[in-house]
Amino acid sequence: MSGGPGIVVQRWSPLSIGAMSCLGALLVLLAFGPFYLGPYLTDRLTTLLIYVIMAAMWNALAGYGGLVSVGQQAFFGLGAYAAIRLSHAGLEAYLALILAPLLVGLVSVPLSTFALRLQGGEFAIGMWVFAELAHLLVNLDGLVQGETGTSLIALSAFAPDTRRALNYWLALAVMTVLVAAVFLLLRSRVGASIQAIRDNQEAAASVGVRVMATKCLIFVLAAVGCAAAGALTLATLISFQPKTYFSVQWTAYMIFMTLVGGLGTFEGPVLGAVIFFAIETFFGGSGVWYLVGLGACALLFSLFLPRGIWGALRDRFGIALMPVGYRLQFRPRAGKAAT
Amino acid sequence: MPTNGSRRTFVKSVGAAAGGTALAGAMPLLWGSARAAEALKVGFISPRTGPLAGFGEGDPYVLELVRKSLARGFSAGGTGYAVEILDRDTQSDPARAGQLAKELINGNGIDFMLTTSTPETVNPVSDACEAAGVPCLSTVMPWEAWYFGRGAKPGQPSPFKWTYHFSFGVKNFFDCYVSQWHELPTNKKVGVLYPNDADGNAIREHLIPDLQKAGFTVIDPGPYEDGTSDYSAQIARYKAENCEIFNTFPIPPDFATFWRQASQQGYTKIVKIAQIAKTGLFPSNVEALGSLGDKLATACYWHRDFPYKSSLTGVSSRELADGYERASGKQWNQQLGASLSLFDAGFQALKNSAAAKNKAAVAKALGALNTITIVGKVDFLAGPFPNVSPTSIIGSQWVKSKAGSKFPFDMVITEHANDPKVPVTAKLLPYS
Repeated sequence: MSGGPGIVVQRWSPLSIGAMSCLGALLVLLAFGPFYLGPYLTDRLTTLLIYVIMAAMWNALAGYGGLVSVGQQAFFGLGAYAAIRLSHAGLEAYLALILAPLLVGLVSVPLSTFALRLQGGEFAIGMWVFAELAHLLVNLDGLVQGETGTSLIALSAFAPDTRRALNYWLALAVMTVLVAAVFLLLRSRVGASIQAIRDNQEAAASVGVRVMATKCLIFVLAAVGCAAAGALTLATLISFQPKTYFSVQWTAYMIFMTLVGGLGTFEGPVLGAVIFFAIETFFGGSGVWYLVGLGACALLFSLFLPRGIWGALRDRFGIALMPVGYRLQFRPRAGKAAT
Repeated sequence: MPTNGSRRTFVKSVGAAAGGTALAGAMPLLWGSARAAEALKVGFISPRTGPLAGFGEGDPYVLELVRKSLARGFSAGGTGYAVEILDRDTQSDPARAGQLAKELINGNGIDFMLTTSTPETVNPVSDACEAAGVPCLSTVMPWEAWYFGRGAKPGQPSPFKWTYHFSFGVKNFFDCYVSQWHELPTNKKVGVLYPNDADGNAIREHLIPDLQKAGFTVIDPGPYEDGTSDYSAQIARYKAENCEIFNTFPIPPDFATFWRQASQQGYTKIVKIAQIAKTGLFPSNVEALGSLGDKLATACYWHRDFPYKSSLTGVSSRELADGYERASGKQWNQQLGASLSLFDAGFQALKNSAAAKNKAAVAKALGALNTITIVGKVDFLAGPFPNVSPTSIIGSQWVKSKAGSKFPFDMVITEHANDPKVPVTAKLLPYS
């Protein structure tokens, strides 16, 4: 592609091509994980993959779509609940875990017509209200037995090693599919539309962007993603207790990972998930101080590094490993990038 | 290791001391590797911080007793083992409980898991163990919520192969309550407040019909959600029906709210027996209610006056309570005995298995366990389901402590229908 005289518009840079190749190699390496990682690491990595899913979904919703939700735990909980229900109905356990997020995605379509009419803070709180409502409705189900919950014991039928490997592969596959979906979506026409809506909804509408349909698409994608994270968490924990799954802490984790990594950057949430995972691994045992530290960390980031780690790196060095935007390259000498 | 005093001489004779420390440094290594082959690793998961912290308050003391008695090792089937107990705090978070269980299983390679206190702790840990094929013994949550709450179905064979649970159930509450409520003359009208959770629903489904058969009139205004803040409708109903007996299974903060409103609205003046469960287990719950806490009737799964002693440590019930009060400066609580009983029963099963590091043998030994612990009999052969052993619950009452006591309230035993070996120490007093 070429722009005006002396300017080239490019998408791929040597750096991003290299990064993509490395990513491909890493995915292949990860795919064989259960064969060389051992039970403990396989299990821990499954958790990390779930965190990456959650962070990427919240970032797609808030960072690109401008839809700040504090109620994503609704989909997280419903994903796990749907898996329990499907398994109870006689579906094979892993099939139930795969179908559950799609079912939640269907539910989120009618919901989006109501929720997306709300703006800004109203949307955030409205989603929280929806999460509480979903929690109470699930509590009414006799199968769940109120707050005590139930367990997906169909999973106990698998040998421990098989189950662990299946969980890992399922998490890896879901993570890859969802992150790739966000990547492709952002590179498509929808990507430009959704960011235009984020920046100014009226202006976007005035130039012909289909506001509601675009917002709905990203909303449903995030719902499916969070539901998948919930179903995968159920696969690793087996116990389903509504209070745990519908807890606002999941959204708090998503916000933390996205803020620290870099809101509105593609690579940031992945980095944020890795950082959060590391913090949890090393300090999770220190009780209340761990939560205090987490809160303080989020506070410091929003005060001094509001664009997160990756956002700051990108601003400074203009790097993009996963190109979702375009860059302007000045022909005479390497210039600054603009997305 | 050199003491402070010898460290001064250490400076003078550097050469000799250097050799000595090198040796001392190598010692644990040699010792460690010699032990590793025979080390038996036992996980212990309980809530020590967060909203359920009351349950785990005495755990450090119990663990100290257990570690002391196992310091010289443990023998089963003629093989000696060094025992390592890995204790973890769930921070009252079920997701963390499951995560910790997986870490102990996959990361630390434990041979056996013990866990206690509330469905929020026991169910996720049991599920993790069942899925990983690690034997697990648990206590202190109604067994119905453990068995049915984890997806077992009545009339079908038990789906659990690795997890075993001994604790009270609805039938134990029924026997205890009928015995306790006949202690005082009342109109036999029982106002009940049961929440919408497994405990509440199990009690509603099974206890109410039995109470009606036993001649009580039960007034049930229906399930409420945990965290409700206004109980006026229920209180009005109890007052209108003149319920002289009151029974509830709430989470502790809900009871504090309810009981204050009941007092403000004049219901507590009508009540002769206020029988509370799930809350009022620990002195701190009762102290939080101030004068409203006096003469609340409750039930306990262990008491300092129990006639049993710990089979593992040899400590009697009285010694456990007194020892804890001396060591911590806090009042004894019933979880001390329950936590210790878990080690009593668990290590008896390890002993019976004759192969403590063979997980299948230990699970089999758990299924055939019949032993006396500090809380009394644990018998998996006599249970309603193969993985369950109901244990006793004893009627008791909170009363003002005798003059000279450090603590405001004391728990006295008022009936013993579940286990007649437990001595009754006081007569039930009317609440008002």
